[in-house]
Amino acid sequence: METRINKLSEIDRRNPFTVPENYFSRFNEHIMTCLPENKIEKTKKVSLWGKTKPWVYMAAMFMGIFFIIQLLTKDAANQAVTLSSTQFTDDYWSTVQITEEEFYQYLEEQLVNDGYYDYMYNQIYTN
Amino acid sequence: MEKYSEEQLLEKLRDPRTQRQGFAILVSEYSERLYWQIRKMVLSHDDANDILQDVFIKAWTNIDNFRGESKLTTWLYRIAINESITFLNKKRNQNNVSVDDENSFLLNTLESDEYFDGDEAQKLLQQAVLTLPDKQRLVFQMKYFDEMKYEEMSDILGTSVGALKASYHHAVKKIENFLTDSN
Repeated sequence: METRINKLSEIDRRNPFTVPENYFSRFNEHIMTCLPENKIEKTKKVSLWGKTKPWVYMAAMFMGIFFIIQLLTKDAANQAVTLSSTQFTDDYWSTVQITEEEFYQYLEEQLVNDGYYDYMYNQIYTN
Repeated sequence: MEKYSEEQLLEKLRDPRTQRQGFAILVSEYSERLYWQIRKMVLSHDDANDILQDVFIKAWTNIDNFRGESKLTTWLYRIAINESITFLNKKRNQNNVSVDDENSFLLNTLESDEYFDGDEAQKLLQQAVLTLPDKQRLVFQMKYFDEMKYEEMSDILGTSVGALKASYHHAVKKIENFLTDSN
């Protein structure tokens, strides 16, 4: 006999599939025997070093960062001092304006003063 | 067997001392529902039986990773659906079937399966359902045969309710066209 159907509603909704007798109860028992026995072993003991290792590593890392920062800031401070003193000398001589004549006169005065001090030294201590 | 709420069951499954007992409860609670879901996808009883075993073994080995973000049912359904689709793809590759004819092997399975006792109309309906793509077939079966709510389907399939409604509507149309054409 030919089946003529146009609408889904014309078809019986009953489940057309079947299973062997007692299939589900047998399956439930069977599957429990197939399961691997590895569940409880998974909770293994963690040693003290194992627990503290990440914290020790983190502390070491912070110490390292601290020393690197210290070293860098110290170098930068030294560099700043050297730079400022050199800059001061350069600035000073760039502001002093003396002629050549005045310079020679200054040297001469220095020599005279030095000669005077040598004479006095000889008079007092060597006699 | 005593009835357990999902929270009570999860508590048992999380404690290594009661895990096995909890899993036995889970199997007896969900095996039938999952079986029918798989069976409607793969049609053969033997294949559905093998896939169901794989589903529970996968669930057992991954139960510690289950964080309870979704319901246990949703999680199990997802495993079952993934396993069924993987199985069907493997079968298609093995049989080296063309795209147009990709579900013909399932129809052969249905005809030779001793655990199918549907009448001609039901066989025709199965034939029509097999013309649908896997995901649409899944949507149709969940709604038409299992009368599942769209919200629950959405959780399992990760698709919006709107998309599921549209998919079901198209599936019904395709099936009715198939039925009309086959007259």
